[in-house]
Amino acid sequence: MSDFIIHVTIMSGLYALLALSLNLQAGLGGLMNFGQIALFACGTYGAAIAFHFDFGAVSGFVLAVLAAALLGWAFASVGRNLQADYWGIVTLALAEVIRIIATNEDWLTGGAQGIGGIPPLYAGLDGQTRQLVILATVLLLVLAAGLFCRHLIGGRYGLSIKIMREEPQLAASLGYDTIALKRQLMAVSSVLAAVSGFLFAHYVSFVGPEQIDSSETFLIWAMIVVGGLGNNAGAIVGAFLLQFTFAFIPFVKDWIGLPSEYVAAGRLLLTGGGLIAFILFRQSGIVPERVGGRRYV
Amino acid sequence: MIEVTEVRAGYGDGPDILNGISLTAEPGRIVTILGPNGCGKSTLLKCIAGFVRPRAGHIRMSGEAVTDVPTYLKVRNHRVGFVPQTDNVFASMTVAENIMLGGRLMERRDRERRFDTLLGQYPSLASKKNRRASALSGGERQLLSLARALISEPSILLLDEPSAGLSPRMMHDVFEAIADVRRREGPSILMVEQNAFEALHVSDSAYVLSFGSVAIEGAASDLLADPAMRSLYLGGDKH
Repeated sequence: MSDFIIHVTIMSGLYALLALSLNLQAGLGGLMNFGQIALFACGTYGAAIAFHFDFGAVSGFVLAVLAAALLGWAFASVGRNLQADYWGIVTLALAEVIRIIATNEDWLTGGAQGIGGIPPLYAGLDGQTRQLVILATVLLLVLAAGLFCRHLIGGRYGLSIKIMREEPQLAASLGYDTIALKRQLMAVSSVLAAVSGFLFAHYVSFVGPEQIDSSETFLIWAMIVVGGLGNNAGAIVGAFLLQFTFAFIPFVKDWIGLPSEYVAAGRLLLTGGGLIAFILFRQSGIVPERVGGRRYV
Repeated sequence: MIEVTEVRAGYGDGPDILNGISLTAEPGRIVTILGPNGCGKSTLLKCIAGFVRPRAGHIRMSGEAVTDVPTYLKVRNHRVGFVPQTDNVFASMTVAENIMLGGRLMERRDRERRFDTLLGQYPSLASKKNRRASALSGGERQLLSLARALISEPSILLLDEPSAGLSPRMMHDVFEAIADVRRREGPSILMVEQNAFEALHVSDSAYVLSFGSVAIEGAASDLLADPAMRSLYLGGDKH
């Protein structure tokens, strides 16, 4: 049971990094990115391609981070003058294009079969010790990412992003370059998603296109909406809450006596139902965004 | 100085809202753009500010071509101050923070000097400088928005319906404040307004738009005395 809890906690931590990344974009910057999973894919495929071509893990990490930052920058640049909802559709479409490329470019990505055998993290350690060290690494990274996001939101940069989100015309009239702000924010937040993907690839030792399905983006959205859009602690709370809830669905299924296919359905039901319930009844989420109360200038 | 020459503009694939408008606003003068709803007043101001890119024509500021220059560069390089019509203050920030934000590109010492000067000029803001902007009345918000635009000592000031939604008393105070800005600082002031009578009283000249074109233009005093103008835009002879 403890191995199971450690595994679920590690997965929650990896999703927390993804949720923090999306929270920077959507919660802080108001950027409705529905292609978040593509940024995660930069991390997973960065690790996998580096392994596939024998570049080494460090090169894989650099590849993952650079690819994600570049893709985030490109997301912000494509249709930069579009309204938020139309831009969201564009990001969803771009993420699907990337998934289709990953499915079809066998020479690079392993195609539909994916790339397996990626060296696990801390391969020199054995069994539960390795799991505990991975857990500590992931939790430390979540803490570091949370502090980084807090620093970003609390300072002048965070203020400029909030102004861009709330009043884009007013922001421009105060001399803010709103397009540059969007690009910077997307590039920086994408790195967090890439780190999550890189660790995920080395943790599960396999990367495939089914891991970057669009439904995963909406799972991350559900995490930040349930946790509290615009609040870093909320993003972490949402990631852990949903991951642990999903992990215990099979036990609930056995307890009620439902067939196995209900596990996937229960997961979808919780994701969609949680999103709808919180949007309808508690838009601010479990940990609402803090507004005001800070000296900005 | 602002020079607009034969500007045509619209939104998306839609028809032209502005059909070849030309105007000039010289330093130290207040120029008002008047006209009924939908005539293109705000679109013209957005074109000049850089929010809407003209489809044709030219815009110059202080002699430099700025037709396709985005808003933030006009603010940085041509010292343009812009006061939007609505949603023009940050409600969760204090009055002082709102004003200081307008001077974020200035040296700290200059910004603080201007801040003190502006608080001296606007006692109603000075007495509430540490209160949230959300606690201000409509007129005070408009003054706050004006003070935020003025802190950077703009050479061009663009005002989008500064009297919108204000009581007659507050409207009077806001127009007086705008007239004071001209006297003290001397920027080119271009103002879009619905309240023609009050706006013309503080303006030097005005352009009346109709269906995206200039229908009437001239000195504000001449327009106030023009019978056609009084009949169409100033509510007959009631003033």
